[in-house]
Amino acid sequence: MAKDRLTEVLERYEAVIGLEIHTELTSLNSKMFCGCPVAFGGEPNTRVCPVCLGLPGALPVPNEAAVEATVLAGLSVECAIAPYSQFHRKQYFYPDMPKDYQISQYDLPFCGFGHVDIEVDGDGVAERIDLDAAVSANLLERDSDGYVTRIGVTRIHLEEDTGKMVHVGGSEGRISGADHSLVDFNRAGTPLMELVSEPDIRTPEEARRFAQKLRSIFLALGISDCSMEEGSMRVDGNVSVRPRGQVELGTKSEIKNMNSFKTLHDALAYEIVRQADEIDAGGRIVQETRHYDVGAKRTSALRSKEEAHDYRYFPEPDMVPFEFTPEWIEGIRARLPELPDARRDRFVRDFGLPKGDARTLAADASFADFFEEAVALTGPSLAKPLVNWALGDFSAYLNAEGISLGESRVTSAMLAELVELIGDGTISGKQGKVVFVEMTTSGDAPGAIVALRGMKQVSDSDAIEAAVDRVMAASPAEVANYRAGKTTLIGWFVGQVMREMKGQGNPGLVNEVLARKLDA
Amino acid sequence: MTVSSLSDFSQLSARAIRDGIVSGEFSAAEIASAAYSRIDALEPDIHAFNELTPQLAEEAAARIDAKVAAGELLPPLAGVPAAFKDNMNLVGTHTTCSSRILKNYQSVYDCSAVRRLLDAGALPIGKCNMDEFAFGSSTENSAFGPTRNPWDLDRVPGGSSGGSAAAVAAGMVTVSLGSDTGGSIRQPGALTGTVAMKPTYGRVSRYGIVAFASSLDQIGPFTRSVEDAAMVLNAIAGHDDMDATSVREAVPDFTVGLGDGVKGLRVGVVRDMVDLEGCAPEVRAATESALATLATLGAEVGEIDLPMSQHGLAAYYIIGPAEASSNLARFDGIRYGYRAPDAADVLDLYMRSRAEGFGAESIRRIMLGTHALSSGYYDAYYGTAQKTRTLITREFAAAFERFDVLITPTAPTVAFKIGEKAEDPLSMYLSDVYTIPLNLAGLPGISVPCAKSATTGLPIGVQIIGNHFDESTMLRVASALEAALALDMTPPLTGI
Ligand SMILES: [Zn+2]
Repeated sequence: MAKDRLTEVLERYEAVIGLEIHTELTSLNSKMFCGCPVAFGGEPNTRVCPVCLGLPGALPVPNEAAVEATVLAGLSVECAIAPYSQFHRKQYFYPDMPKDYQISQYDLPFCGFGHVDIEVDGDGVAERIDLDAAVSANLLERDSDGYVTRIGVTRIHLEEDTGKMVHVGGSEGRISGADHSLVDFNRAGTPLMELVSEPDIRTPEEARRFAQKLRSIFLALGISDCSMEEGSMRVDGNVSVRPRGQVELGTKSEIKNMNSFKTLHDALAYEIVRQADEIDAGGRIVQETRHYDVGAKRTSALRSKEEAHDYRYFPEPDMVPFEFTPEWIEGIRARLPELPDARRDRFVRDFGLPKGDARTLAADASFADFFEEAVALTGPSLAKPLVNWALGDFSAYLNAEGISLGESRVTSAMLAELVELIGDGTISGKQGKVVFVEMTTSGDAPGAIVALRGMKQVSDSDAIEAAVDRVMAASPAEVANYRAGKTTLIGWFVGQVMREMKGQGNPGLVNEVLARKLDA
Repeated sequence: MTVSSLSDFSQLSARAIRDGIVSGEFSAAEIASAAYSRIDALEPDIHAFNELTPQLAEEAAARIDAKVAAGELLPPLAGVPAAFKDNMNLVGTHTTCSSRILKNYQSVYDCSAVRRLLDAGALPIGKCNMDEFAFGSSTENSAFGPTRNPWDLDRVPGGSSGGSAAAVAAGMVTVSLGSDTGGSIRQPGALTGTVAMKPTYGRVSRYGIVAFASSLDQIGPFTRSVEDAAMVLNAIAGHDDMDATSVREAVPDFTVGLGDGVKGLRVGVVRDMVDLEGCAPEVRAATESALATLATLGAEVGEIDLPMSQHGLAAYYIIGPAEASSNLARFDGIRYGYRAPDAADVLDLYMRSRAEGFGAESIRRIMLGTHALSSGYYDAYYGTAQKTRTLITREFAAAFERFDVLITPTAPTVAFKIGEKAEDPLSMYLSDVYTIPLNLAGLPGISVPCAKSATTGLPIGVQIIGNHFDESTMLRVASALEAALALDMTPPLTGI
């Protein structure tokens, strides 16, 4: 869908979006109510026990670390922490749910009434049609780069994840038409934290930024790997549109299966346009759940036979309610690490990084840690070239290999050494790129590669003067032409000197010596 | 071994068995075989068991006898034959809850209370019949047929732990475990002339007992003496990391102080309960007589009314089924248990497996509970029941400011005839009118035999109610009454 189609629609309609974000607490050692390990994949039904299989007589015991992680998440987005909270049972039958009820939270969640401030800049700013009218009280700041808006966090609660089903024999792996289905309970009972936003989001770009911001915060907290691809972070959206100026909300639809930030944006954009077109054509929006088809780039209604579920929530009798004391809550607050916004500001302040680079770096806590380890070795004077390498060739290498930071052959110390070798003129930037490629394949330190390959850049002025003298002596005609005014020949001279020096001359010094001698 | 001592096996106490093994009078293996001999003789008529576990018992007995041979110290319940209600998991057994839906279900882990009793040296003799999923007061709601009362084979043993009660009453085992959600230990205890205790909620781990109503269920013992009950409680009480509702309260030695008497103890008779219209005159008379005995022993007997507790039955029949409807949802034919053949799809599989797998009373309770939790009815039913529960708890708390223990009948009548109430659920529900309020308040209660009916000769029990985590005082009163009355509670076993 063309982008201008969305902005055209948004000129006439205001979109109202709220997100529900499920985050698996993947960094925990054990599941929500039993001692089974939390991990992704693996042989089906190997990480299970009587509790997470819901065997007769087994009882749930809450994982305190999961409760603490959820409260930590709440504090990180300015939530109030409930002094009294408890688990409820949400009841419905489904084969991936061993007890046929999910232990979740209902009217007494751990956290509520928080907010997250998001920055929108770049192309996405254009989606916010009403920016100049400033109708929203949530708009906090705007400048030439973009704007900052506040998204309310309604609540954060904790629940257990379900198992996974594999449908065999049907089309597209869906249950309808399947011959039989298999259930893998490895994921069942994984601690799942659900954050519900206020319907404060007005554009698909804001939705994307909000989800990205939460990811960066949760990464900083170290509570989840937040992988949308592997499903450890899952985003559902509630969307409605209303004609601009109308106070009454339109009918909303719920969009599922948005498993990347780009998909989140595109699915919401599609849905906004679809709803507007429907209304323009005199139709009505039906409240329903819609599935986003990434291939077809469109949403379609899920077969909704039992739309009005009665979950028969009631307080979980196998556990006692939680009563958090102010002291306990403050103890958790003391564990809050530096959050992405603060880190971004520190990177700008201490290292003079551009704000955009600083934000990109701070958004991924482990990447920011990597940068800080390296900059601690190089000193702040090399922070800018370091961040260029980190966000440039280094990120490209990780993406190309499809590996995580932990799997990288290039360590923070190695990258720091490379930047220092370039910084002190030992090698040129161009040589640095060759050395970097070598680092990624061999895993050798850059100093060793430079030594092994004899790539050391010659900055010895005597050697450069001698080479320049030899080239000038061998090229009297070119020297005469240069001195007659054809100064563009300087490039030819540089090339000759570099060849004479087998490419290892310091280009800056070579230029300097040549200019001095030719102009003499 | 002396033949004369083992011929009295059916009346041996837990302590006597351990002492006899220690002294070499008999071996644990001989005790196990004595238990099975008696079961062989009586079980066809009584049907107390769903499953016998001779191999497990032999192995456990061999371990005890090896300790004896090695001169090692024996655990407190060494060689004591024990039976477990068939809703308690034990590896090597089926755990059926007397339901068709779990008929072939094999345990893959141990119930904590069972494990603790076995670790204390008890011999696992078998798994006992019960009302399906503990729904009932007569053990007639078993998919595998009713258990008969050893005192009169035409009568029920009470329920839902009727098999556990009958096995102890008939001397087939020395102790057994039951579960009590609204009286399922105490009421069959009264109807079979056994000592039957429900500890304080949270005192004994519920891990591994197939849940009926999580906020009400509690495991407890059937024994033939108060001291044996205290010894079993010693073994099974205490915090369990696997049950978040089990408490970290200190566990005293419950046998200490059993003989201290009741002099000066404040004993309150719950007058409006004794005077309840449905209470049989002989039960009322037996209760008054027990009180008179306690007064003679030096207790300060007073009276109290507990009007809120009269609403306990109504609140219980909302909360119990509500939790049960949720706890039983997992029996859906997907992962284990009965699965209806040839289902058209998942919904059909669920509906038919459950309709065919559950018995009538289970279906009735699931429907009651599902309705009570439904949107639009929740506040009127579940909400009101929870408020009632809070009021009953407060009412008891106030009563325990005046009294150390409270006394009521355990059940309003003696054992009734098989089939007598089977078609009348409401009349059956009334069997638990005295026991239910304790579950709602989480209080401990014990039923001890206090008389035999003058007309039928059937046992009558009295319920002694203790304050939260004060089982010790409750046991002390029970022990004093037991000693003063000195009743012979050996069933006649006529007709066998
Ligand atoms: Zn598990």
